[in-house]
Amino acid sequence: MIDPIIVTDLIRVFLVFIIITAAYIISTRNLSSLVTVYAVQSLALVFIALLLFQIEGSTTLLAIAALTFTTKVLIIPHFIGTIQEKIRIKSDIQFHFLTPIKSLFLSVVLMLVVYITFVEIMDGASAPDDLFFFGAVIGISMMLMGMMIIFSRKRALTKVLGFLSMENGALLFGLFITELPFMIEFLVVIDLIILVLLTTILIVGLDSTIEDYHERLQRFHLWEDDLP
Amino acid sequence: MILLMFLVIALLAFVGLIISRNHRQMNTICMVHSLVFALISVWLILSGKIPITSLAFGSPYFFIDHLGIYEVLICTVIFTCAAVYARGYVDGLLESGELEKGSLRVFYLALTSLLLVMVLTFFAENLAIFWICAELTTIISALLVAILSTRENISAAIKYIFIASTSMLFSFVGITLLFEISRSVTGTGTLSWTALLLQAHSFPTGMMTAAFVLVFIGFAAKSGIFPFHTWLPEAHAKSPSAVSAILSGVLLNVGIYGIIRIYAIVHQTPSLGTASSLLVLFGMLTIGIAAFSMIPEKNLKKLIAFSSVENMGILLIGLAVATPVAIFWVLFHIMAHSFTKASLFFSAGILHRQYRNPLSNEVDDDICNVFRYQPLAAWGIIIGGIAITGMPPFPIFWSKLFILLQVGTVSPLALFAMLFLIFIAAVAFGYFVLTTFTKSSEPDKATDIIRFPTPIGMKLPIILLLLLIFITGVAFTTGEVSFITAIQNELMFS
Repeated sequence: MIDPIIVTDLIRVFLVFIIITAAYIISTRNLSSLVTVYAVQSLALVFIALLLFQIEGSTTLLAIAALTFTTKVLIIPHFIGTIQEKIRIKSDIQFHFLTPIKSLFLSVVLMLVVYITFVEIMDGASAPDDLFFFGAVIGISMMLMGMMIIFSRKRALTKVLGFLSMENGALLFGLFITELPFMIEFLVVIDLIILVLLTTILIVGLDSTIEDYHERLQRFHLWEDDLP
Repeated sequence: MILLMFLVIALLAFVGLIISRNHRQMNTICMVHSLVFALISVWLILSGKIPITSLAFGSPYFFIDHLGIYEVLICTVIFTCAAVYARGYVDGLLESGELEKGSLRVFYLALTSLLLVMVLTFFAENLAIFWICAELTTIISALLVAILSTRENISAAIKYIFIASTSMLFSFVGITLLFEISRSVTGTGTLSWTALLLQAHSFPTGMMTAAFVLVFIGFAAKSGIFPFHTWLPEAHAKSPSAVSAILSGVLLNVGIYGIIRIYAIVHQTPSLGTASSLLVLFGMLTIGIAAFSMIPEKNLKKLIAFSSVENMGILLIGLAVATPVAIFWVLFHIMAHSFTKASLFFSAGILHRQYRNPLSNEVDDDICNVFRYQPLAAWGIIIGGIAITGMPPFPIFWSKLFILLQVGTVSPLALFAMLFLIFIAAVAFGYFVLTTFTKSSEPDKATDIIRFPTPIGMKLPIILLLLLIFITGVAFTTGEVSFITAIQNELMFS
């Protein structure tokens, strides 16, 4: 059994690490790095779930850690990486509205706004220096940072990574605020996988001529041409 | 066993679709599937068994209450009409090469899956299950938007997914917060609609308001509320018309259904004031944006789509007033809007086939001599337009009238603003019809246009829906009134 103080400190370190990964996703232009950083961010979430298990002892946290590792550290990054190779896009250099520097600055402002809002709505239910309060604030901030990626990037594949980063924020918020039944967490992840699959397949279409798109879908066994 | 019955029928339809070899077979399966679902819904309503709070299969995550079965009935009627319509319409798409043969099975499988998921969405007793099902409706309907595989369709589908799913993540956070609120009050958290409704009076104000705002963001995006409405006109305009009818007539109801449910919970708490102000603000902005966007619109399907946005705004304001009369007419308006809008999209689909306009919202409609070539579709648009703008004797006249009267009792200024915006939307619709439907082709081009032989299957749903909205506009049965009143009672609005 690890000392609870060390566990709490480790969680704080991972939370800061997660914020750094979110900032990196906002600012980087290399798509391969984006996918890797997303996988690393998800791995940090796995460690946080395991450390929270040390404090609370709930097996649901273990199950969430296992599910996150399988889907968000292994399956989803592998799938996006494969699609990215097929459509041969290496980088996303175009931005709408916000440049990376402005986005990072805005992220800091958003974090402050989220913190102040939480102090208001929690109404004394949780102290501002509480670990769980801190985790919830980081979770929502991550969601807003992910949303910024969706709005500020031009490439649809980068937007998908922004969405996934948002979803990691929602998971982080859930880990610290309350403990939803595992069945619901499981169904949410399944939903996420279907969403990512569909979106990335559509992205292949955006980046192809229609003939090429059908050829690619046939290669993935997602399209048939055998009707009379 | 009722839920199991729905699942088994859907499973049989899936198997049938997988083994069927041509369009006719697939369409028949889809039609029978929708019709059987509609008949079960009617049987459930007539049997007087509603509400069924403890299902033999699916309990405690699913239940059937008056609001759920009401939405399912609307949904199955529109799906049945869309399936009948799809036979001729999809044949046309195949002939013109807009839909590839290889996509046909995917189209019908998606349509069948969407119907099943819709039913599960409206029968979900648990807020999280509802959220998951609502997300699945986004995914499946986005696939249907992208089915024509043009770059524009794919782009519209991706935009729809990003806006709806990003917003729905905020809803999920709101749901998590709601679970924690319930846990902090009762000791064991719940996401059951019924339990939350009963516990709501003891929920803390600040956290409840935050949960409502977050949940509202997601469901507002699903129902095309400003500022999350930007996906709607594009997706509706670019989809095949059978899909547009479903998107407007059924899919928007998913978002509004979620807002009604969560608002019923907030209605029991001190957060009501903030929540209703929020609904009025977004409702008014939604009607305003839709009305002013309709004025310059030259694309019929996009015009009809903006009219959907306008009607969602009206529903929000009616809901915000929250008097029993307002809620009654909000519920009535949902049905009236769904049927009217589906008929309009079906008519627009015939005009699309006639004039071969690309399914693009960037291109103006090139409609001429419409009464010579497609009189039924022309009259469908005119009668549907009269109905959707709120003229008597159609049902939307009654719902708009009573919602406006209720708004007037709360704020005469809001009543004036709403009247003004609704008037602008009606004028925009009328102006489009007048300018487009009176156009004649140039003499040398008149012989170039070949009349599209509209199959009876494409005409029948329009006639049926127009008849249905006429009957619901002129005849209120006591059964209808008591059914909607039962919904109000279950939601504790009375």
